[in-house]
Amino acid sequence: MIFQLEDVRVYFPYDNIYPEQYSYMLELKRALDAKGHCLLEMPTGTGKTIALLSLITSYRLSKPESPVKLIYCTRTVHEMEKTLAELKLLYSYQVQHLGAAAKILAIGLSSRKNLCVNPRVLASENRDSVDAACRKRTANWIRATAAENPNVELCDYFESYEKAASAAILPPGVYTLQDLRAFGKEKGWCPYFLARHVVQFANVIVYSYQYLLDPKVAGIISKELQRESVVVFDEAHNIDNVCIEALSVSVRRQTLEGATRNLNRIKQEIDRFKATDAGRLRAEYNRLVEGLAQRGNLPISDTWLANPALPDDILKEAVPGNIRRAEHFVHVLRRLVQYLRGRLETENVEKEGPVGFVASLNGQAGIDQKTLKFCYDRLHSLMLTLEITDTDEFLHIQTICDFATLVGTYTRGFSIIIEPFDERMPHIPDPVLQLSCHDASLAIKPVFDRFQSVVITSGTLSPIDLYPRLLNFHPVVSRSFKMSLTRDCICPMVLTRGSDQLPVSTKFDMRSDPGVVRNYGKLLVEMVSVVPDGIVCFFVSYSYMDGIIANWNETGILKEIMQHKLVFIETQDVVETTLALDNYRRACDCGRGAVFFSVARGKVAEGIDFDRHYGRLVIMFGVPFQYTLSKILLARLEYLRDTFQIKEGDFLTFDALRQAAQCVGRVIRSKADYGMMIFADKRHVLSILFFFLSTSIRFTSFTYIIFFLMWEQFLRKMAQPYDKGGNSGRRTLLSQEDLEKMGDDGMQDIMHY
Amino acid sequence: EDDDDLDGFNAWERTYADERSWESLQEDESGLLRPIDNKAIYHAQYRRRLRTTARIQKGLIRYLYIVIDLSRAAAEMDIRPSRMFVVARHVEAFIREFFDQNPLSQIALVTIKDGVANMLTDLGGSPESHIKALMGKLECSGESSLQNALELVHGYLNQIPSYGHREVLILYSALSTCDPGDIMETIQKCKKSKIRCSVIGLSAEMFICKHLCQETGGLYSVAMDEAHLKELILEHAPPPPAIAEYAIANLIKMGFPQRAAEASISICSCHKEAKVGAGYTCPRCKARVCELPTDCCICGLTLVSSPHLARSYHHLFPIAPFDEVSVSLTNMHNKFPKNCFGCQQSLLATGNKPGPCVSCRTCRQYFCLDCDIYIHESLHNCPGCDSIR
Repeated sequence: MIFQLEDVRVYFPYDNIYPEQYSYMLELKRALDAKGHCLLEMPTGTGKTIALLSLITSYRLSKPESPVKLIYCTRTVHEMEKTLAELKLLYSYQVQHLGAAAKILAIGLSSRKNLCVNPRVLASENRDSVDAACRKRTANWIRATAAENPNVELCDYFESYEKAASAAILPPGVYTLQDLRAFGKEKGWCPYFLARHVVQFANVIVYSYQYLLDPKVAGIISKELQRESVVVFDEAHNIDNVCIEALSVSVRRQTLEGATRNLNRIKQEIDRFKATDAGRLRAEYNRLVEGLAQRGNLPISDTWLANPALPDDILKEAVPGNIRRAEHFVHVLRRLVQYLRGRLETENVEKEGPVGFVASLNGQAGIDQKTLKFCYDRLHSLMLTLEITDTDEFLHIQTICDFATLVGTYTRGFSIIIEPFDERMPHIPDPVLQLSCHDASLAIKPVFDRFQSVVITSGTLSPIDLYPRLLNFHPVVSRSFKMSLTRDCICPMVLTRGSDQLPVSTKFDMRSDPGVVRNYGKLLVEMVSVVPDGIVCFFVSYSYMDGIIANWNETGILKEIMQHKLVFIETQDVVETTLALDNYRRACDCGRGAVFFSVARGKVAEGIDFDRHYGRLVIMFGVPFQYTLSKILLARLEYLRDTFQIKEGDFLTFDALRQAAQCVGRVIRSKADYGMMIFADKRHVLSILFFFLSTSIRFTSFTYIIFFLMWEQFLRKMAQPYDKGGNSGRRTLLSQEDLEKMGDDGMQDIMHY
Repeated sequence: EDDDDLDGFNAWERTYADERSWESLQEDESGLLRPIDNKAIYHAQYRRRLRTTARIQKGLIRYLYIVIDLSRAAAEMDIRPSRMFVVARHVEAFIREFFDQNPLSQIALVTIKDGVANMLTDLGGSPESHIKALMGKLECSGESSLQNALELVHGYLNQIPSYGHREVLILYSALSTCDPGDIMETIQKCKKSKIRCSVIGLSAEMFICKHLCQETGGLYSVAMDEAHLKELILEHAPPPPAIAEYAIANLIKMGFPQRAAEASISICSCHKEAKVGAGYTCPRCKARVCELPTDCCICGLTLVSSPHLARSYHHLFPIAPFDEVSVSLTNMHNKFPKNCFGCQQSLLATGNKPGPCVSCRTCRQYFCLDCDIYIHESLHNCPGCDSIR
């Protein structure tokens, strides 16, 4: 359908539109008009992605004088593919109605692992080794030697891409990663480098958060994007954590040992070069004297590392004299590693700010803040000079330099925490030194400053006023939309007491109470007998899950559950979990029925959908608060309180609810779907959750017996044929005529539906 | 919103209330309580059903296997006295209705118990023998296995001649199925042999049942309560549309036996005992059978009587639905008949206002709503049109 939204003609590839999608577009459009940032919340299953894509592309078409570029950030490759598939549909619709004028170029960008077509390179097992294998075939000096020595292996795809040079362009269209690979194979061009090259001209780019937020990567990939871009962070409810992770480093004993090995190797290389090609080292020295800004002298294709969020003025400074010479720099690093090793020997937990840490480092190892600041760039330059290609071997020393640069650059918002052992296993010494970032706004600040509009959107962003404070920005629009439903397809409930009327909770003093464990078990046993197909259970932590399952096994509850459904458990091992998930799905498919035990902050809770029959019921045992004794969390809470005036309790509750909402949100992925949710905890925090869970849900914390009657009724009601248009009573689909009929005032009615 | 809330509460309260007398009351415009006019609602439901009856080819000779799940879940008491008894009661009604509507078809009964499917009765056309066998076997235990049942039924139905329509109706109480192998393969096998599988669930929607019905072209429904269950089961009584690939004209050999002389004594071939009078003689082998329709036990000829054929006929040529007469229109013409042409009852509602009625498109006679249902569902002839002839 095509409709007019104020002064924008919107092309929407479906015949009908949900009222909430319409209002979402309206708000988004106003934010774009105002050239400001916005924060939009709309529940999953309402077609957020297509509303967003369709509005932004239509906006571009309506205002050809100021073309906006869309940068769409997703969390996973899978989501990236889904987004591109929707864009493809939209694109073909627009082309059909507008012809050549609608032509755009949209690409997905991912790591080499996902884009490479060279079978030899792909044979490597992880991302870093694929990267290294690629560099071994494409680095400038390797290609230079290959010109003389035919035995050196090169990548044919890259060679022909280089040969095509500027002629290597993509025709307009929407390219998923799959399409890019196919295109690359057909033309014989390397899809990865092609995509990297095309990023500058593409109208729509879909890639991962890291490419914008992680300063190490952002510097290379995203530096040439123009200001007139719209940046979208989809599923952004965890964006603060992503920002923090991007700037946090942890150093273990293995890291230091690896770093020492790396340094030895670098030393050897330096010696070798000194003997054979002293001129190179000399040239590098001269370059460094002129300053880091001249890094541009190095060929573009080799800029594979960059500095973490250095302020601009540093880039123009010259590298300090004491690390200009290669061997001196290696000495400095050796001292740094030595110092860190000394710190790790400690027997107590230590916490320090960056300033104090740098001062003591200066005192004991004689490395000052300025030197630290340049470590990362200096290492990068050195490795290029030494022509090191197997970068995956040098990850350890890179981590150390990353750490050094961050410590040297920031004086606020970080803390250094040294823990001699894991809290949960105090007998096993496992010292770890963590540089943890507390301020999410540090990593995202460049993005807000740089781009005209940043859209942060997700299914759960409530309370919506907390995000601007956490990320330190001022949105022009911040709204949350409710889902309009044709039927009450979710049935959420809070269970505060078990079958024997004792309160249930995972509160620390209650969680090991046998009564609570038994009540949880009873609840599950009863549920497996009335709910068909799949059930997903979320526990608050791995250790709690292990404990409770062991207990159920002893008391025979597990056996009772198994009479009705098979049981699958998430573990920390990714392969094992994937296998369990796969079998869980099969059990649901073939009608045997299954239960999946999972953990609230685990992989499954974040990225795996349990839609349709894969999740007819989700049970949340307890409230997934973070581990409040963790030193890092405490430090962050303190920082949040001092800097942003966010109370500890508020943040913890917010975080727990966000996790819980995320977990239960896995079940409903579209309006035709239905599912039930049970929160089993006596704490009233959970009832707040119901304000987040879209729609006007009827929720009451009933007594135990009524529960089951309601569920049975609910399941029967939902099994009746689904009336998509909502002809009987509630209308949730608007056709083109409906939209034309209603003016702006009419819109208000719908929004207050 | 408020109404909605009220409804939701009633939903669970309903299970407690055996008699909901207050629900059948309604307040009229002057504030008096009146019984709800259920007739209009029923009629609306019936008309909805009727609308779908276009003139299409239908499978008249049906071979239907009714699979009844007698696993542990069938003992649940959510429908009183228990799912098992309620199902049996409605299956009984269904069998009678089925033979009434499809005299040329046959039924067999299968039960699932302890994960194994058992043949309760073989294909046959006698309602009494099926009902008797079913009522004698009502006990439940163990797991349920959809695959075992399908395999068993598939084994039998595969041998049915191609003019017959192969159907399975599964009444499924359990919420899971414990299968020995890959059920997906079995479903594909059923699909290949053109077996139309329908499932009526008793508690909740199950993916595998939905999948089975989608693949084989059957209906999947879940019963809300007992009344709904009855409705859903009876929905399967009228013949389904013929499967396209099977809709080729086919000549079937049939015998029309004569009724045996009153006093003659002969040995009945179906019960293997001597009987006096009241039987039929197969025109080909002269064997004697007790009931029609059936297959001759000796020569295998299909034996029917002509009324059976005639009764099946109406499915192919249903009477066109009657038009609903709107009140304002009749007022305008002012020649609104006082009585129903069918039953001669008054068509006027209370207060001498014209009540709801329908009229036939061809003969333009007026009928009351009861007669409308009777004509379309039982009589299959329009009295108005017939009297013109």
